[in-house]
Amino acid sequence: MNAIFTAVFVASAIAICICSPNSFLTALLNGAMNAAKTGLTLFCVYCVWMGISAVAEDAGINATIARFLQPACKKVFRCDDAEASLNIAMNLSCNLLGIGGAATPFAVKAVNALEKDGNVFAQNLLFIVNATSIQIIPTTVIALRAAAGSANAGDITLPSLLATLVSTGLAVTLYFIVSRRSA
Amino acid sequence: MAFVIPIIFIIIIVIATIKKVNVFSSFTRGAQDGLKFTLSLIPLLATIFMMCELFEVSGLSSAMSKALSPVFGFFKIPEELSKLILIKPFSGSGSLSYLTEIIETYGADSYTGRCACVLYGSSETVFYIFAVYFANTKKGKRIVPIIIILFSTFISTVFACFICRFI
Repeated sequence: MNAIFTAVFVASAIAICICSPNSFLTALLNGAMNAAKTGLTLFCVYCVWMGISAVAEDAGINATIARFLQPACKKVFRCDDAEASLNIAMNLSCNLLGIGGAATPFAVKAVNALEKDGNVFAQNLLFIVNATSIQIIPTTVIALRAAAGSANAGDITLPSLLATLVSTGLAVTLYFIVSRRSA
Repeated sequence: MAFVIPIIFIIIIVIATIKKVNVFSSFTRGAQDGLKFTLSLIPLLATIFMMCELFEVSGLSSAMSKALSPVFGFFKIPEELSKLILIKPFSGSGSLSYLTEIIETYGADSYTGRCACVLYGSSETVFYIFAVYFANTKKGKRIVPIIIILFSTFISTVFACFICRFI
């Protein structure tokens, strides 16, 4: 990330010096402003989902679900840790339900729990699954199309699903091949 | 489908009440975790978004998408989508504004518009997810997963533009 950030930042800054030096600071401030706005939106999503998840945790529901999912997690993610498996499961279910924003905190918890065991394989696999998008119904896009007066706003659901299956399937397969070779 | 989420909430709260859990204080504790998490996220977001904004304003992003459009043309991807494809791995809000623009210009039911929708719905903000997930981890070999993801996303992009002709 460091390399990408530095390269893009410096290249853009040089380009802006040549074209329109005035807009440099405005651009940076706008970026930070966007971050603040996005942060506020995300905070609302996290409040709802982490709130209800804390209730479930205190009621012992999470532990029960985790016990059910642990065998599968162990097989696919090679992960023994109960906390990590639970958070992986929560992350995947949020993604499938189409509440992608709520999936992030669970993934971060899972990655941090996996860090304790040094389970880089599971961390990367979780990253791959999330970064190739496993949404079943693309709700945002459908809403946008409906607002733009589409005759059939939902007709992109099937192609989207197929495309996302291709990317996730291909990425996971490739990762399994690569990690088997190096293991 | 819409009733699934409220039902999940009801079941959780009912079970918690039966088990004599203080629902209100548990919920508050969860929300507090949410706040902590958001606070740890905002500096990251700010840094990434500044980079994206700079990339955009400097004109580098349009220059790059212009340079790459013959490549996209070779794979039968409409050239109008090159900007969306390039910005999507970096910024969700940026790509959403391009998607809106494409839908407004070409219409939601046009081939280009539908391709854009499928692309947007079937890909993710890879670098943003990367930065957030691994903010608290030590350096590891992460370059391989990123290459795999970008490659798979590109293949699925080609595939999406292809099937949009038929479905």
